[in-house]
Amino acid sequence: MPEIVQIGPYRPQLVEPERFELLVENGKIIDVNIELGYVHRGIEKLFTTKTYMQNLALAERICGICSGVHTLCYAQTAESVMNVNVPERAKYLRCIYMELERLHSHYLWFGVLAHSLHEHDVFLRIMGEREQVQDLLEYLTGNRMNYLINTIGGVRRDITPQKAEKIRKVLKNMNELSNYLLSLLGENGTFTKKTRGVGILPKEKALNLGAVGPTLRGSGIKSDVRKDDPYAAYGELDFEIVTEKDGDAWAKSLVRARETLESIKIIEQALDNLPDGEIAVKPGEPLEKEEVGRAEAPRGELVYYIRSNGTNIPERVKVRTPSFMNDFTLIEMLRGDTLQNARTIIESIDPCFACTDRVTVVDAKTGKKRRVELK
Amino acid sequence: MTEKKISVYRFMSAGCNGCDVQILECLVPRYKLGELGVEVVFTPEEANVLAVTGGINVKGKEELKKAYEKLKPPKLVVAIGNCAITKEIFDKGYPMVGPPDQIVPVNFYVPGCPPRPQAIVSAIAKALGVTLEEKEDYWGTPEGFRGKHEFDSEKCIGCGACAQVCSSDAIEILENGEKRIIKVDYGHCSFCGFCQDECPTQAIKLTREYHLLTDNRKITHVTNEVEMFKCNVCGTYYAPSRQIDWAVERITEKVSIYREYSVNLKKAMEICPNCRREIDNIRKAKKLLAQLSSKAQTRYN
Repeated sequence: MPEIVQIGPYRPQLVEPERFELLVENGKIIDVNIELGYVHRGIEKLFTTKTYMQNLALAERICGICSGVHTLCYAQTAESVMNVNVPERAKYLRCIYMELERLHSHYLWFGVLAHSLHEHDVFLRIMGEREQVQDLLEYLTGNRMNYLINTIGGVRRDITPQKAEKIRKVLKNMNELSNYLLSLLGENGTFTKKTRGVGILPKEKALNLGAVGPTLRGSGIKSDVRKDDPYAAYGELDFEIVTEKDGDAWAKSLVRARETLESIKIIEQALDNLPDGEIAVKPGEPLEKEEVGRAEAPRGELVYYIRSNGTNIPERVKVRTPSFMNDFTLIEMLRGDTLQNARTIIESIDPCFACTDRVTVVDAKTGKKRRVELK
Repeated sequence: MTEKKISVYRFMSAGCNGCDVQILECLVPRYKLGELGVEVVFTPEEANVLAVTGGINVKGKEELKKAYEKLKPPKLVVAIGNCAITKEIFDKGYPMVGPPDQIVPVNFYVPGCPPRPQAIVSAIAKALGVTLEEKEDYWGTPEGFRGKHEFDSEKCIGCGACAQVCSSDAIEILENGEKRIIKVDYGHCSFCGFCQDECPTQAIKLTREYHLLTDNRKITHVTNEVEMFKCNVCGTYYAPSRQIDWAVERITEKVSIYREYSVNLKKAMEICPNCRREIDNIRKAKKLLAQLSSKAQTRYN
């Protein structure tokens, strides 16, 4: 007799609330039902009540972790609505800020992974070292999160040689942390034992389900907006798209660990080749048109759509976040796996429900319900 | 260090998860949460403190009530972040039913977007009655940090540009005849700094102050008062007197042709827009200006 096991919605192991209903028989997961909506805030409606500039702050608060890339993608789309050409220096600065954000987001994810695998010491070490990136972002932008560094037409704060020196110093330490993460994922590493072969997402399934970001790259598909459709200064910087072919939680972790090293490489290059000039230009009037923009968030491809009617308030803004695409791959990954692994699998896509919950999918199943703590 | 033990259960609904990450960061040894005897627990049954983040939407409301009922005494509720205080930027969102103090009683508020881990830790310490030693490298904020607002009342002309550009409607302009009050609610602010950027006289500034813990929601604001000017014709208050001076100064500075008429320009500006609209020809305008100058003379004689 199959029974329904609920995970969530309020479990502190998940950073955010979301309900998973797992249909379980003999310890195996047969079917999955995902219920969202605990973080729904009506953001797309709010977008049409504020001006283009005010919307920057709103776009940022879709998600606190990848807040910077939301403003970047929104600003880039708004810039094409307004026909603004961003100065070269701003493009490089954007790359630096966004890669710093990718670093803190990936390290945070490793921290949460360690937490969910009950590796408390590893969790403390990763989070402790990660503080340096957070302090650096605070020093550069004025806030630890929701930094609002990108604006329509450029960036709001410059990087002086003194600041660049500090960035380089932190990057050196982060290089060590990334190597430590790689060692955890190496042969006989702490993470390897617990993530190898868990939640396999085959290549075809990943494509069919529309996975994005590290979830897709972990299944062996080379896809990265930074390379496929270069924005900011990514076209001029040298870096690689990291892929792994196994498709399990381990492969996804390894992709993220190696990506942090690529990010460090990108920031160093951008600092070396930082062109002189202005950091922002004044945006013009919005034209009557519609635009789509995309960017690579730490979790995958982020898409913004803006329709303008020529006024200073956009007529429609649509956001498609990476976690929304990756959520559906969970159904595929959880099916057939054991209940013990459920948490690691859910964690493996780096779900960000604050991002996803602008769209509500409500579907409730009737039947016997039992709450379990997956510790 | 302390014997009092508090166990915190974190509840989030309709926020951006920035505050949740800050709470997670508090667990790092650097912030000494363990030293205070604080632990983070996984179920509301084990907890005696509920840390609420986010503005609470329709779906989260019932869950919040349930979590509050399960709490052990003394049942303290701490609202962390501005969403949990006023719903901040999501104020007008259709699914929002919060803020949490509309649903459950809230004891402490920690403003910030997100509040720094230091602010959260010191808030908990304050609630416990413990003083923490302050080290510059640990508690200090870097140059350019966006914290609590500060008005330079000497510079503020009361134009209200800050309220216009505010991304989360945190700045209110209140008028009571003689005075115009500019009220910045830092419990509603998203700390974007647009007000600071747009202020024509650099009168509003975001300081580096971030320890904003309070138990009274009503005092989370900074205000500034400016004198209003009475229309010389009909006698109604219509604009701050400093703004009029500032506008005259700017016009004479930018448009050289007006320089010699600056006295008359000022007189014209000292008439409210409604009275100005009634002037339909030059003769009437001249007559009015003559009237005003004789009026001024009699006043000063």
